[in-house]
Amino acid sequence: MTVEQFLAHEARLLDERRFEEWMALFTEDGHYWAPARPDQPDPWSEVSLIFDDREIMQNRIRRLRHPKVYAQQPASRAVRQVTNVSIEGEDAAKGELSVRSVFFMFEHRPTLPEPLARIFAGHYFHRLRRDGEGLRIVEKKAVLANCDAAFDPLFLYF
Amino acid sequence: MNAPQFAHAEPDVEGLVLPDRVSRRLYLEREIFELEMKRIFGRAWLYLAHESQIPREGDYVSAWMGLQPVIVVRHKDGKVHVLHNRCAHRGVMVVTDERGNTGNTFRCGYHGWTYRTNGELLLAPMRDAYAGRYDMSDPACFGLARVPRVAAYRGFIFASGAPLDDPAIPALGDFLGEAKACIDQLVDRSPQGEVDVSGGVHKYVVRGNWKAQIENLNDNYHPPFSHACSTDEQQRQFRRRYGDEEGPHLDTREEGSKWESVASVALDWGLSYCGPLPFNQGARGGPVYEAHVAALEKRHSRERVREIMADFFHNVIVYPSVVMQLASSHVRTLRPIAPDRTEIRVYPVRLKGAPEEVNRQLVRYLNITHSAGSLIQSDDVEMFRRVQAGLASEAQEYVWFNRHMADDATLRGGGTSEVIMRNQYRSGYLRYMASR
Repeated sequence: MTVEQFLAHEARLLDERRFEEWMALFTEDGHYWAPARPDQPDPWSEVSLIFDDREIMQNRIRRLRHPKVYAQQPASRAVRQVTNVSIEGEDAAKGELSVRSVFFMFEHRPTLPEPLARIFAGHYFHRLRRDGEGLRIVEKKAVLANCDAAFDPLFLYF
Repeated sequence: MNAPQFAHAEPDVEGLVLPDRVSRRLYLEREIFELEMKRIFGRAWLYLAHESQIPREGDYVSAWMGLQPVIVVRHKDGKVHVLHNRCAHRGVMVVTDERGNTGNTFRCGYHGWTYRTNGELLLAPMRDAYAGRYDMSDPACFGLARVPRVAAYRGFIFASGAPLDDPAIPALGDFLGEAKACIDQLVDRSPQGEVDVSGGVHKYVVRGNWKAQIENLNDNYHPPFSHACSTDEQQRQFRRRYGDEEGPHLDTREEGSKWESVASVALDWGLSYCGPLPFNQGARGGPVYEAHVAALEKRHSRERVREIMADFFHNVIVYPSVVMQLASSHVRTLRPIAPDRTEIRVYPVRLKGAPEEVNRQLVRYLNITHSAGSLIQSDDVEMFRRVQAGLASEAQEYVWFNRHMADDATLRGGGTSEVIMRNQYRSGYLRYMASR
């Protein structure tokens, strides 16, 4: 599987709300990070839109499956596009790749009194680890172009 | 001031607030919103920023007092000024970023008018044109206008737009009253007795009226319902901190609910606090907690440290602009934008001198509970949106705040009491709205 194919597969799992399968792409020490400002140095000294280790990821996904998650009834429909993929670095000893890409994501939330529709765009920075024939995610960082804006509540991973 | 009197009558707000309910119009109508901006947000003590956000001279942050843009800036003598973000010449907003360092002066981009960081006009280019006719050193006409009242408590900077001769507005300390004890506890958890509020900010939009947010903050009737999706089959929430064995239990029992055991305390001017939530009680532990206690014990007696680490309150609302929370150590500001739009900002309150891991955990916790993508706050924001949508119905005029009416005699109640909201209207809202 090429890196491009992997990223397309990952985006598809999220589009199709196959969150558990998506989470299984992460290594045990893997995490997901959406910073709250463009040059944020780390997720520990400042707050983030999302900073999930696997424990929080599991809680977030369980919540999305809960019958009383009112803000996702009906659930959002989203579509993600990943382009401009480039391998930025490789750590042969660890078997890890650093990958940069561009994403666009459209979210439509069908609700009353009117639906909410919005576009997110930014860069993904993946740290991927080779795992046999496949790849696993050690870190996925999604930096929105407007990550320091005030948002309507966010329910989905970018 | 002899402003021209227009024919339209002001809305009769007092008639819309009853002892146990308020009219839907308070959430919907533009005229009422504008009056609130003038009478409440134009005069009340509003929290704007913390000293730690502007440590050096020339440091500033932008803020809002109701709809009015202001700049909170540290002058070269160390004093903090709150200046209107409006060039005296043609009305240009001088600063359009959220924070920065401006050096000694602010310069308007339009015609180059340049101001000292205390608001005085330093220069208006090609000044001969004014010579002999205008006293350009008159700050009232030609300065960045100063907000008249600025004061800080434990580093938290408040300002009020009320003129100094407005007798209705008390000094900041008197206004805060018992809420000071809550702020003290938040700050005293720092081994240096000082906090740092520069660890970034969560921002989110509420598609609802500002009052719907502030009426929720000490409402301990809603959590087991609004936040049901954060629980498992046993109504147990996920744990929020490393070291906690499990998360809180969101009890929905009809009788003997844990939520009734939470204290609600209503204070003057619409302020209030609630006691620790049932899930914060009991011993906390683990190496990070112990290291925090050890750092505090270098400064305080063991007895005092026990007091500091006990959860004395959960939320303190400094009506109408800010809430501070102990468990997740944050300050949260409300910025009304329109009757149906409010912006919320949530800043982590980091504890200076505490072990680094304490502050790291605190930041992690606040992402889980209060980011736009949080697992808790997003439930509330959805409900505020639905309040605004539902109130379009005209069949019923009122929303109700009539739980535990008997609590009004003492201004104390259990967690699900709506004495907090009734007191917001009686001792805060109506008092501001009734006087000009």
